[in-house]
This record gives sequence, C-alpha cells and structure tokens, in this order.
Amino acid sequence: MTTSERQPDAPGASSAVTGINPRITAGIRYPVDGGIPGEWHLRIIRSDVPAGRVTGFETSLLDDEIVFISPDDVKELPRFGCQIADQIVLTREPKFVGDAIAAVVAPTLKDARVAASLVEVSYEQRTAVYDELAALRDESPLVHERHHTSESDSAYFDMRPQDGTNVCHRFRIRTPNLRGREEVAVVTDLTDPDEPLADAFDDAEVIVDEVFQTPAAAHVPMEPHAANAQWVDGRLEVVTGTQTPFNMRQDLAGIFGIAAEDVRIVVPPMGGAFGAKTFIRTEAITALAARLTGRPVRCVLDRDEVFNEVTRHPATVRVRLGAKKDGTFVAKRIWAYVNTGAYADCGPGVAQKMGYAGVGPYRFDHVAVDSYCIYTNLPPGGAFRGYGAMQSVWASERVVDMMADQLGVDAVELRRQNLLREGDTFCTGEVMHDAHFEELLDDAAAAVDWKRDGDRAGKGVAIMLKGMQTPSTAEARIELLPDGRYEVQAATADMGQGASEMLTRLAAENLKCETDQIVVCVPDTDRVPYDTRTTSSRSTHMMSRALEEAARDLIEHGRVGHGHVSNDGGLDPDTGQGVASSHWHQGSASADLVVDEDTGVIALSTLYASSYAGKVVNKHGAELQQEGSMTLGLGTALFEELQFTEGQMTNPNLSDYNIASALDVASISHRVMELPGAEVHGLGETAVPPVPPAIGNAVASLGYDVRQLPMTPERVLDARREQEES
Amino acid sequence: MTWHLPTSVDEVLRLRADNPEAPIVAGGTFLGILVRQGLVEADDWISLQNVRELKGLGDAGDLSVGAMVTHRRLELDPKVFGVWPGVSAAFHAVASPRVRNVATMGGVLADADYASDPPSMLVASNAVAEVASIRGTRRIPVENLIVGHYSTALEEDELITRVLVPRPTGTAVYRKLRTRSQEDRPASSVAAVVSGDTVRVVVGAVSDRPHHFPDVCAEWKPGDETSARAIGEEYASRIDYIDDNRGSAAYRRRVVGVEVRRALMAVGS
Repeated sequence: MTTSERQPDAPGASSAVTGINPRITAGIRYPVDGGIPGEWHLRIIRSDVPAGRVTGFETSLLDDEIVFISPDDVKELPRFGCQIADQIVLTREPKFVGDAIAAVVAPTLKDARVAASLVEVSYEQRTAVYDELAALRDESPLVHERHHTSESDSAYFDMRPQDGTNVCHRFRIRTPNLRGREEVAVVTDLTDPDEPLADAFDDAEVIVDEVFQTPAAAHVPMEPHAANAQWVDGRLEVVTGTQTPFNMRQDLAGIFGIAAEDVRIVVPPMGGAFGAKTFIRTEAITALAARLTGRPVRCVLDRDEVFNEVTRHPATVRVRLGAKKDGTFVAKRIWAYVNTGAYADCGPGVAQKMGYAGVGPYRFDHVAVDSYCIYTNLPPGGAFRGYGAMQSVWASERVVDMMADQLGVDAVELRRQNLLREGDTFCTGEVMHDAHFEELLDDAAAAVDWKRDGDRAGKGVAIMLKGMQTPSTAEARIELLPDGRYEVQAATADMGQGASEMLTRLAAENLKCETDQIVVCVPDTDRVPYDTRTTSSRSTHMMSRALEEAARDLIEHGRVGHGHVSNDGGLDPDTGQGVASSHWHQGSASADLVVDEDTGVIALSTLYASSYAGKVVNKHGAELQQEGSMTLGLGTALFEELQFTEGQMTNPNLSDYNIASALDVASISHRVMELPGAEVHGLGETAVPPVPPAIGNAVASLGYDVRQLPMTPERVLDARREQEES
Repeated sequence: MTWHLPTSVDEVLRLRADNPEAPIVAGGTFLGILVRQGLVEADDWISLQNVRELKGLGDAGDLSVGAMVTHRRLELDPKVFGVWPGVSAAFHAVASPRVRNVATMGGVLADADYASDPPSMLVASNAVAEVASIRGTRRIPVENLIVGHYSTALEEDELITRVLVPRPTGTAVYRKLRTRSQEDRPASSVAAVVSGDTVRVVVGAVSDRPHHFPDVCAEWKPGDETSARAIGEEYASRIDYIDDNRGSAAYRRRVVGVEVRRALMAVGS
C-alpha cells in the first residue's frame, strides 16, 4: 500500500486506499446527485388499495405539458421479473398499497409532484390477504390468478409453482431415505403431524417442535433509489444505483424488445443498498417515460417510497428437531413460510436459502425441508442482507437451545457434539471443506466467558452457515492505459462496502505495483465484462480469482488481460440435492445481557460475532463489514419492524421506524477470522443471521421465551406472562 | 416563497400579526420533517435565527431560557447542570447531538409533540412560558400551555419568548424509558422534582399531554417504597394511554407505575 497523497476527485478515486474516504468528504457523485441536462422528472402514481382494479383516471386538472402515462401505454410491453415474470411496468390491477399504476412526467420535480396529486383514481376493490399462512387457506383470494415463469438469467433453478394456491415456488430438501413418499403439495397447518415423514424421527428420544416469526423490515439505504434514463439513437442509456447491472440490461432489453447490447447501464457509487437496489425497481418506467417524451427522464423516490419499494420477507418458520438422549442429533424437519408480497422478485431464491440455512452446520441422519414462497398483498420482499438465512437461523438456533434445556446439557457442548466437520456431508449432499465451525463456536463462547455446565443466565450463543449465489460467473479485465496505469474493468458495484478499494488492492497485488497505479472503472455494461451481480457476499470471493487470472493474462500478453471464473451448481427444487454454495459463509455470535423484569428492556453488555473470512483483502474494510452486519442484526433482534394496517405501511419514515444508532452499538465486539493462504470468503452478511438468536437465547435463559422478532420490551414481558399463565 | 429574517422580537411579532399563517421556524427539527412529508406548506416563513435577544440564558433568580436556546446548551451549560440538573438531564435525553445542537426551548414547547422529553420536566419544575404578541406579554405555566396533541394555549399572534424555571430547592430526576433505539423518543417520560417534603411527579409521552396529579403526589412519604409504589399505581390507572410504535397502551400502563415508583425512590433517598 502506498502512502502517497491522492486527490479525492482523481480518476478511480472511488476507493479509500489512501487519504480520506471520499464518502466522508462529499467527494462522490451518487446516482441521486446525477442528472442529464434537460431531463424531466417522473413521479409514480401509486395504488391506495391493497388489491383491486383501477376503473378510471381523472386527469382533466393536468396542465397540457404534463405527460401522463397509464397502463394503456404499457400494453405492448411484456411481463418481467428476475425469477418469475409476474410484473408489468404499470398495472391496472394493483396488488399492494403503493403498486405503480400510472406516472406523470413534468419539467420540474415540483411540477411532477403537483401533477401526481391532481390525478384522481377510482378503484374496484377486491379482498386482500396479508399473512403468509392466511394466504394458504382454501378460502384465500389468489394474488395472481395464474403462475408465470421467467426467462431471466437471474433464475438459475426450476420454479415449482403450486397451481391454485398463492405458492409461487416450493423448495424441498429430502435426504435419501425420505424420498418418494406420498405427500400433500403444501403443508398449511403449523401443527401438521407430518405423517408421511414421521419415521425420520424413529430414532429420536427427544423432539422439540416450535414456531418462530420475523416481520418485514426495511433496508434503509441513505441514498434513495435514483434512476436517469435516456434514449440515444435507438439505444437506451440508464444511469442508476443498482447492484445488478447485467441483469438490469437483460431485463430492460426484454421489456423494450431490443438487443441487450442496445441497453447501457452505468452504475455510479451508491449511498447504500443492502439488497434494496437489485433487479428492476424504477428503471423500466423511467426508461419508458424517456421514450414517450423523447427526452431524458429522472426518477428519485421519496423516503416513504423507498420503504415500500422492496422489503425483507416476513416469515413463519416451524422447526422440528429430534435427538437421542446422549445429545446426538437424529433428524430435522423445517417448514418455512416466506411472505414475498405482491410480486415474487427474488423470493424463490430467498425461500431456497431460508430452507437450507435453517438446517444449520450440523450432522443429521435425516433432513426434510419445505420452503414456500407465498404471494400476499404486502409490498414485495426482495434481497436483504442475510438473504433468508436470518429468518430460519433465528428459529433453528433457538430450537437448539430448547433441545439443550430438554436434555439438561450445556448448549455449547450440544452444538459441538453435532457440528459439521471437514469431510462431513451436508443435507444437500455436499461434502464440507474449509469448515471452521468448532473454532467459531469456541470463540463466541469465550467472548461471553461461557463456562461448560456453568451458570449461563443472561448468555446466549448461536452458529450458522450461509450459502453464496451458486452458480455464479465473474469476469474482469485489466487494461494498460497510455499513461502507464492500469484500468480495472469489473461490474462489481460500489455501494459503500469498499468494492473499488477491493478491486484496487487486488489488482495492485496481482500486478505487483503500487495502488496509485490502479484506476477502477465504474460498472458500465458498455465497458466492463459480465458479472452475475453484486449480491450474496460473492464479489470479493469471485473477483479476487477473476482479477488474479486477468493480471496473469495481462502480464503474459501485454496490454489487456482477461479473467473469467465460474462456479457451477444449484439445487434440485424437489430433493434439495446438488451444490448449494461454492463456499460457505460460517459465523457465530454470542450475547451477554440483562433484562429489566419490570419493563422488559434488554441491556446488552456484550454482543460478539466471529466470522470465518479465509484470506482478508482489506482488514479495516472487513471489520467495518462485520460491524455493519452486527448493527443490522442488533436492530433486527430488538426493534426493526415494518407495521401495516390493512396492507398500508404505517411507519415508512425514520421517526416511526428505528434503526440502530451509534448509541446502540457500544456492546459490539467481533473477530474476523483470518487464515492466510486460504481462499477469500465472502463476509458482507455473515454476522447478520447469528445475532438475533444469540440475543434470543440469552433472553430465554432469563425466563423470557420470545418467539417473534423483534424482541421488544413488550414482547419480552408478554413472553414471561404467557409462560406463567401456562 | 418568502423567508423572513427579523432581527428583533418586535419585528417578529409584527410579521406574525400581519401573516398569521406564516410558520415560525426556530431550530427546524420538527417543521423540517413536516415540510418534507408535505404536511406543512406556506408562502411566508418567519425565521427566528437572527433574533439575538431570544438566545439569552440567564440564571439570576429563576433560570431564564430564551426561546432560541438550544437543547445542547441546556444540557452542557455548567450552571444549568449544577443548579437545574433535572432540566439538564431532560434536554440531554433528546435524540442525538445533531438534533440537540439545533432544537430549541421555544420549539419543543410550541410543537407540543406528545413524544418529547422536556415537557414533563418543565411541568414538574413549575416552569412558566413568557409569551408575547403585539397586544402585550403574558405568562403561562407550561402545565397549562400544552393542552393536547400538537396544540397549545397560544393565540395565533403569540410567540414564546422565554421560559422561566424556578430555582429548585430539592432533588430532581428524569427517567426516559426507551423501548427501541437509544436515539428514539420516549415510550414514557417521567419527571419528579422535590420541594421540601413535597414532590411534583409528571408523566409525559404516554398520552396527548403531560399529566400531573397533585392529590396523588400529596400522599408521598420520602424514601418509602410502599408510598412510591402506591403513587405509581395510581398514576398508571388514571392516564388514558395511546398506542404507538414505541409501545401499546397496555404496555404503557404496565411501565408507568414502575417508572414513577423508580423516580420517586431516586428523589426520595
């Protein structure tokens, strides 16, 4: 690393390799700052009803220059969706409060706001359903009358929609002895006796069978979604904050019936994303508006729209764990009910990952998982830091502690006894490699001074594994510039996680030059080679190898070097067998706390997380990722929850929806577990899932068995009351 | 849109009399949110930022707090911290330093937002608001100033110019119950201020305005847990609670008794 000064506005200065991070000095132009000269402003008109049909728009109050766009203007455009093509650009049949039903375009933002408020909409309202289990009942309305599929390259696995139900995808795991049974398509009852698979538990002497819930939550990126679109000589150019430039390119090309090469996506650094800026959000309507008006158009969402644009999937997870009296785990059964809201988005993928992450890093003779991705009339759920793993790890790690209580054994030792070790086989058939669960468990336990069979009042631990998007492809190119510097061309988007710095450091390391010899090109689909997307903590893992190859290629061939890495895999949706993940995100957490018995307030003295990172590219950056994940996990555990009344979100602002503040994180400490010479492991989310159950187990050790996140003081007191009453 | 920048109280009062619809902007932390959410719109705005005479903080006799004195000053001023520690604590409890650096005494009272920290302590401390208009000046006890959700006893042309807090003769305690982030507003806001053998307990942030029940307070025996518990339970049962994101009415009813008891034991020991 060089110590020379670098100008914040110099080319490639989106990293903080030297000097002050330009994110702090306002040295970055974000998509929200951008703007194309002469562009008009778009406001989306959103549904006031959770389900129904628009019967008319009254637009007579609009000035002549205002361009009004209605569902009639999108009739020719095909459906889209990253995993299921169930969306249209503007819908006449809204499926949630906030669904885009029309738009106005005006010369100024103020004009656009006024115009949007002047459009009167009449509706024919229909019955709506919000709860994931209510949506499975026979009498429930169908959110989508029929199931769709998608050609998008974001869907790597076969969909299993269940006809005549709101289940748009069903993912199952059945270990070998549990296949070929006569089973119902969808288990709708949380007390179902599970007769077809009951023999999986024949050897179990103790069974714990419990249900846990997590609510919808918000990503809260500082920067709202901001898109700028323009048509130039028949080509579509979009400057937007997105984690998925190449998916965006393909999907927009599909919508507008043009070649992918005729769509250009440019991604300036984003002011946060956390999964909220994946796949098409406002880009399609913005591009359509630009085409209709023949001028550049810009769309920036208000904060309440950001809250409603995409959320974390609410989920109900039932876990059944069977063990022998000596503590050996025998079987695990999971039913995950994943509320994907009005549109599937990447819900099927989230359901899959929620399904296998809930199995946890343990050995079992038998595993059966049913994970259902369910439509409701809530805002769509989508990618969210932790990607489904959090919801099921919350349930499954609480159940491990309940099993320890039932058996009367130490909760850490029970985990140790059953952990997956090098060479063990996971429920997907994958053989574990580079497994460090025991070390992570011991590290977390030590952080709260856990004594074997000692007094654990107020202490909790949790451990988990999480997969990475697989299959997955990354390409990178390095080009020698005329001035002797190297330009790194890669589609990894910088959203505050340090992507540019990562690319800079790795390129310099591989080319054996100083970091100030490296320039990083922002993702621009006209200039950078293909990459799957910047999600699932995959980028450093994938790009480190692609860059290594590119550097080697460049050194060998002169001016340009190309690197390409590809991980094959995927899971069979009916058996869950295959390759879930090319490498595993392994993490543990622990908590030490007290509960105020009169108010239910939880006070943490220690919140610790330990994550396996393999080789670390940027130690400071890795630590920040870990702290960010823990901060999100803390908010998830204690207070983050989107609330709805009749489908209308009631807290879409930062006063009524709290995220953790600087004052909340004093108890946080952590370890990024390095292993020099190992491969680079993803780290962006690993510390999210184990935090809520570590806190939950600590709270439960004091006699408050809370099943529902967040663990608000009120729920803590109610849990004690319910226990006393039963 | 016109942004008026008067430099004297007289000028503010004349502007307001001429533009009764013009919002008066002090720190802007509350109005800023309302404007962003489209809940407040106006052609004329009156800013107090250049009115120096509203920024005075004096401690001769009563504590005299100009309407434009910030929360942060009340929190950190050594004299306030030393002599009026309860007041200092209540302002310290608000949000974050970023907010406290700009939010003002006049603003927090004029907004009459039920979920603020300072009002319960100001009522418990027998604070009085001095209020001016072109028609003259009057004093309103803070207890009578806040009359309900976002509503005060102020007439349309009146401006809070300063708040007077009598010099305390006993201890004061402020208890803020946070149920979410540490930067959150209170789920309950309990102030207890002792004067001789008597106490004023005020409960805020749980209903439309702060509540004080003198007849209940009259039963107080300093340091006596039983009396503290009984007063807490009586307070808990008399208030008509609201539900919000920080807690249900049922939860608030459960914790108000606890918080009042704890405040009384803290001031009475």
